[in-house]
Amino acid sequence: MEAPDEELMLAYGQGDAGAFETLYKRHRGPLYRFMVRALKHRSAAEELFQEVWIRVIESRSRYAPQARFTTWLYTIAHNLLVDHWRKKGLSLASLDAEDVAVESANPARRAEGREALARLLQAIEALPPAQREAFLLHEESGLTVAEIAAATGTNEEAAKSRLRYAMAKLKAVVDE
Amino acid sequence: MSDEQKISQRYRELSREEPPPRLDDAILAASRRAVQTRPAPLVVPSGRLRWYFPLAAAAVIVLAVAVTIHVERQRSDLEVAEAPASPPPPAREAQDNLYVPDPKPAPAPAPARPPASDAGELGAKRDAERLADLQKSQQAPAAPPAAAPPPAASAPAPAQDAVSGMRESRRADEAAPQARMEARSAMRQQATIGAASAFAAASPEQWLQGIDDLKRQGRHDEAERELAEFRKRYPDYRIPEAILEKFEKR
Repeated sequence: MEAPDEELMLAYGQGDAGAFETLYKRHRGPLYRFMVRALKHRSAAEELFQEVWIRVIESRSRYAPQARFTTWLYTIAHNLLVDHWRKKGLSLASLDAEDVAVESANPARRAEGREALARLLQAIEALPPAQREAFLLHEESGLTVAEIAAATGTNEEAAKSRLRYAMAKLKAVVDE
Repeated sequence: MSDEQKISQRYRELSREEPPPRLDDAILAASRRAVQTRPAPLVVPSGRLRWYFPLAAAAVIVLAVAVTIHVERQRSDLEVAEAPASPPPPAREAQDNLYVPDPKPAPAPAPARPPASDAGELGAKRDAERLADLQKSQQAPAAPPAAAPPPAASAPAPAQDAVSGMRESRRADEAAPQARMEARSAMRQQATIGAASAFAAASPEQWLQGIDDLKRQGRHDEAERELAEFRKRYPDYRIPEAILEKFEKR
């Protein structure tokens, strides 16, 4: 049976580099996609992806499992995202705003090939940041509504509402 | 199949992007470095090496005492050598009892200054010579401070280091991510040492209150720096949206 994340993180805190490697391999893909899709610029996404792991490494001795490791990891990711958005001049209120411009000219996105999937990806990008984040947290890291609320520092109602709005908008695209 | 499941299924059909290997390597290397740099005892005193620590400590103490005595002796020699120059006559008697190796005869006491009316060119010249001597004698002890500029110049070194560290990191940013990680963690260490937060010892709530106060006073740069420090210290702390919004409004 595989060791739980929390145990691995504690082991890493005690100097077991192998534990971190296992942990990293488990979460690298979802966290990377979360960052790449939450942000529209790959270089910024990679920068923040690295930064999340740096913070994990630096917090190794202070880590105390109070929740699932995944929730903790995405809380760090969320905090970095919020700071990134604030630096870009986006206020918290605008993260929930409806009118988010889509950078549809992204060649990587167009290269997705399949039209329907490309449309879905575009629709995800068009979501307001807070809804997009809630959706990605749900899809990529498998967080529940309560965990999304915990990771994003909001209440369950708000998290649920963001997820519901996101789903409704994406449903329209999927049904096309 | 519910709408949610349908969306999830379509989402899973999207490309499963993964981090590039260079990122993996950089992060894993950083994680290994972090646990390797844990401070270890210099020598593990065990078995036959148990005598090592007491002996080393005794050697250090003996050396320290010897150096102190040596320095003290040198200082008293210097004071004695300088003593003849001091003019107060009552002290002169006491000094005469001391053995002072004097390579050249003590300068004869300056003849009584001629009256002001006689103070012509010669007097002015003598004054100039004395002034020059005085300057020389002042320069002599002042020599160490003059030689001191290296430490003085090295005072702003942390700042220079930080700047060069930042430059390096910028260059490193264009290079491999591993180098970037190294530069960033070095920068962070420097920043941690150099810019210890005034609120670091406070609770997270007090720290946030401090940041809020800074914002209220219009010290936005300081507040942003404090917030960045706060995030480093408490990367998973959920700052309530209401507080973040308050920060934004100011």
